[in-house]
Amino acid sequence: MAEREIAQRLFAKEFNDSTLSLTSVLSYDVTDMNSPNLLISPTGVRINRIFVVGVITEVENLGSETGKERDLWKARISDPTGVFIVYAGQYQPEAAIFLSTVAVPSYVAVVGKARIYEPEKDSVFISIRPEEINSVESTIRDRWVLDTAELTLNRLDLLSEVFFDKMHGEDLAGSLRSRGIDPESAEAIQDAIAFYGTDQNYISKFKQSVRKALLSIKENAGTEMQQKDNAENVIFELLKELGSAKGVQYSCLLKEAESKGIPEEVADAVIRSLLSKGDCYEPRLGVLKLV
Amino acid sequence: MNDKYAPHIEELAKALDGIDHDDIKIELDKLIRFRVPLEEAKRTVLNKFSSKEAPEIKIKDISNAPKSFTLKGRITSVEKRNFVLKGETVDLYSGKILDETGVCLFTAWNDFCLNEGDIIRVHHAYMKLWNNRPELNFGQRSIVEKLPEDPSIPRTEQLFTQTKKIIEINSSDLLVSSQGIVTEMYHRDVTVKGKDTTIIEGVIADETGKLPFTSWVPMDGVDIGNAISFKAAHVRIFRGIPSLNFTHETSWELLPDNKCPFSKNKIMTHEPTSIPIASVLEKNGLFDAVVTGNIISVRPGSGLIERCPVCNRVVQNNVCRAHGTVEGVKDMRIKAILDDGTGAVYIMLNRELSETIYGRSMDEAENIIKLSLSKDAVYESMKRSLIGTYLTVRGNSSKSEFGTTIVARSVWVPEDDLLSRLESLLLKLPEDV
Repeated sequence: MAEREIAQRLFAKEFNDSTLSLTSVLSYDVTDMNSPNLLISPTGVRINRIFVVGVITEVENLGSETGKERDLWKARISDPTGVFIVYAGQYQPEAAIFLSTVAVPSYVAVVGKARIYEPEKDSVFISIRPEEINSVESTIRDRWVLDTAELTLNRLDLLSEVFFDKMHGEDLAGSLRSRGIDPESAEAIQDAIAFYGTDQNYISKFKQSVRKALLSIKENAGTEMQQKDNAENVIFELLKELGSAKGVQYSCLLKEAESKGIPEEVADAVIRSLLSKGDCYEPRLGVLKLV
Repeated sequence: MNDKYAPHIEELAKALDGIDHDDIKIELDKLIRFRVPLEEAKRTVLNKFSSKEAPEIKIKDISNAPKSFTLKGRITSVEKRNFVLKGETVDLYSGKILDETGVCLFTAWNDFCLNEGDIIRVHHAYMKLWNNRPELNFGQRSIVEKLPEDPSIPRTEQLFTQTKKIIEINSSDLLVSSQGIVTEMYHRDVTVKGKDTTIIEGVIADETGKLPFTSWVPMDGVDIGNAISFKAAHVRIFRGIPSLNFTHETSWELLPDNKCPFSKNKIMTHEPTSIPIASVLEKNGLFDAVVTGNIISVRPGSGLIERCPVCNRVVQNNVCRAHGTVEGVKDMRIKAILDDGTGAVYIMLNRELSETIYGRSMDEAENIIKLSLSKDAVYESMKRSLIGTYLTVRGNSSKSEFGTTIVARSVWVPEDDLLSRLESLLLKLPEDV
């Protein structure tokens, strides 16, 4: 069985720089505009599917302009390093409907296929054709940035090590293999180095962008963690206060929490986390009790 | 044969260095007489003689073997068996073969004159699963080459009753010795061949991993929390996951604390930690794996379903594949794809876990359907609440033709400390000066 393509995590900066498509490696005179299946990023990621969480900043209906496709929606989804462009046409009806109704700005998660469009030489457009798109909470965005930073750093560190050894050609391939990189990925890394001229300079620049990206969510994540901690304390106290021998009604708890300035979603999330941690339990459906 | 084929034979001979002209001629002639077009005939001949040797593999890699391969090893046992196929008695030879990396069972469908102790190289062998274990097969196309004695290949499989760490035990092991702590243990009454017996089931863990075990003999004096050292336990494979079987051939002894190569407390109180999905995909099956990722797709078939009251199969329109028209039993489930950037696995959640993760009970889900009058309403609503979210799943993984699946035993929203992760990442990223 063919393994499912991994949904890669990349920052917009790296994704939009990924102008090397695997078909153009095979033959440089690709005449047909059809998108290839694989893009190779500057750090050597083989991109077929991509998973992105960011802020949707703009939605546009291009349907009337092109005249070809009845419904073509374009959206801009921003991460701390840049913007992903998403196109949803008539063959992505669910995504198109989503885009037509989504609130802007808001946090969205997108799973999609990487597309490259090269109308002429030296003008390349990279975009995402969504398979799934959904509204998410800001914490998911923060986690995505962390995950992406972690995976990106791993790739950058691997490249650094390889550059440090000053390897080329066969030696490079061998060196990658000895680090447990599978042959396909090793080839992608070699292609990337050859095509983009990825070097130590690129790596240190990229690391600075990653740093900035992390700092940009630090404040946000920090306050949210505090808020959550705070909310957790309040609800814990409420449970203590209201919880008689029988426990307290869930709806009643939500109301009390709201009166203390905790929105319903937050309260619900906190209660769930208390439940999963085993701090409280549900003796009957809809009734909560401290342990 | 017409001389006009001579240049083609010449060409083929050139391509097939070392193959006799006459052999090529005979083969080509045969095909031409069947009016096979010349190009196709040439291709066929080329393929047939082509020394495009299938890759040589070791027994430890047999579960991931290509369709056809070459393998060198020693026959340690062989026995002739026969069975009746369509009224005809067919002979076959089966036994064990080993190399320096492991031992496995083989079946030869022809008489290759195999003897115990022979060192052989078999070409065009293939792998088949038999009782959930990869087995080496010598078929019509296989060629067996006898080789001179090679001392680097062990003489007996007892050697492969080697002591292994739990995580290293895999389908190439028939017998294995190891050490571990009994972390779970319970007795079960079963009927084996018409006789009532009590077997012991449980889990054995060391610092590298854990595996389920079954003991067919009493294990007096062993209890949960005990460290044991066992020798020659049988390894069985179920859905790609090895399980240890203690029989009368197996011996074990309690390990005193000071002889434990691992920390007992650590294993007993071990909190499950997530591993990259890529490392789950590498294995045919993993016992009690924990992974964390994003739900990137909720598959059709999730939501409210109906099951056959007899066999539990999913039924559509009250018709079961095996039992005809039945009164379906309502159930809820989630089938989704979890992806962590290193790999993707299918996850299956039963009703209870689906209710927790989806945040609605089955009754509430039924109401959604009643209100919206659409059967897909619950599926759509699950997609809206799940896609993109983070999830940690714990359960057994197994590889099948549909991909790798984890059937969840428990599932929760990961709550690790984002801030401290962030800080440690920033430490690796000093500011440019």
